[in-house]
Amino acid sequence: MARITAGVGSSHVPLLGVAHDLGKDKDAYFGPIFAGYEWTREWEKAEKPDVILLVYNDHASAFDMKIIPTFAIGCAEQYKPADEGWGPRKVPDVIGHPDLAWHIAQSLIFDEFDMTIINEMDVDHGLTVPLSMMFGAVKAWPCKVVPLAVNVVTYPPPSGNRCWALGEAIARAVASFPEDLNVQIWGTGGMSHQLQGPRAGLINREWDNMFLDGLIGESDRLRHIPHIEYLRETGSEGIEMVMWLIMRGALGTATRALHRHYHVPCSNTAIGHIVLEPAG
Amino acid sequence: MTGPTDIHSYLAELEDIPGTRVFTAKRARQGYHLNQFAMSLMKPENRARWKADEKAYLEEWPLTDDQKAAMLARDYNRLLDLGGNIYFLSKVFSTDGLSFVQAVSTMTGVSVEDYQAMMNAGGRSPQGLRSKKEGR
Repeated sequence: MARITAGVGSSHVPLLGVAHDLGKDKDAYFGPIFAGYEWTREWEKAEKPDVILLVYNDHASAFDMKIIPTFAIGCAEQYKPADEGWGPRKVPDVIGHPDLAWHIAQSLIFDEFDMTIINEMDVDHGLTVPLSMMFGAVKAWPCKVVPLAVNVVTYPPPSGNRCWALGEAIARAVASFPEDLNVQIWGTGGMSHQLQGPRAGLINREWDNMFLDGLIGESDRLRHIPHIEYLRETGSEGIEMVMWLIMRGALGTATRALHRHYHVPCSNTAIGHIVLEPAG
Repeated sequence: MTGPTDIHSYLAELEDIPGTRVFTAKRARQGYHLNQFAMSLMKPENRARWKADEKAYLEEWPLTDDQKAAMLARDYNRLLDLGGNIYFLSKVFSTDGLSFVQAVSTMTGVSVEDYQAMMNAGGRSPQGLRSKKEGR
């Protein structure tokens, strides 16, 4: 049977992709950020996941204003890096796992989560930056990826509670997939940042670390944080952190932290990264 | 359920944050064509046409005069007021060759150098910027 063996949380700032692609990852600005991912790169080499369920948000790349799905799952064979205005990133195509993706999609709908199915799309920095951070420069990504896109752009996005519950349903779906697969779930985006208006540049180190603390152990208090708290405390784009709760919800009643990293700033953003395993 | 169960009080709270325009349905409707225009710049052939003649390219889109003027002036705060969303507008400033820091700093009333220095020093504190009503 397939099983979720670990959860990874990570920011997905586009500038990290630029720094990675231009080989600036060891300079004075980016060095301390990338250093916090070295542990994870070694760990991933040992873990050899078969599939990553990668929770992210599309930043006006695959989805424009025509259609705004709250939760959408990628069931395609493969995905190309999106052209976000400066040409596509020169990273490998992302290979999907349509059998698992369709199994999860069907199971979730059966479980009363009304998923949107995506059969064709390009994937933007929200998905490819975490892959670069965790796997580095590679000719091909070392595993398959099932993209799970969440609307955190047009209000209202899903509640933290709903995201957590979706994670729980994803865990049930994965556990009923007959093939023996080592599956990780990644929640990406955040941490505190605001990219718009006179309040742009907001960072809240204390709140971010409270959030990282809350992912560890038995507590499920994070699922009850209302949107307005993310907005007030972590900036308008800090709302992306609800996506980490899908990852956390999928890990079961308790977690253990294997690795943790926090750094300010990267571009306009606080970088957060955590590796968790189920401990329930 | 987390937070208010009534959509009206939920939406009212979103307007209580200083210096912030949350991308609500109202803004999404107002900015629909503005954001779709920005989205069109993901295609290299459209970027080339936009760069060759911005005004002519804008004329192909059903934008208001205010939206067109704000776009030509790259007045991003004004564009947010007129329904623009930052992820869509990012296609415009990326086409201009600006980074997020460079473009975002233009909305804050300080130079890009000062903005970057603020970020390097740990970013903007939320203190006093959480709520207009409560002034905290």
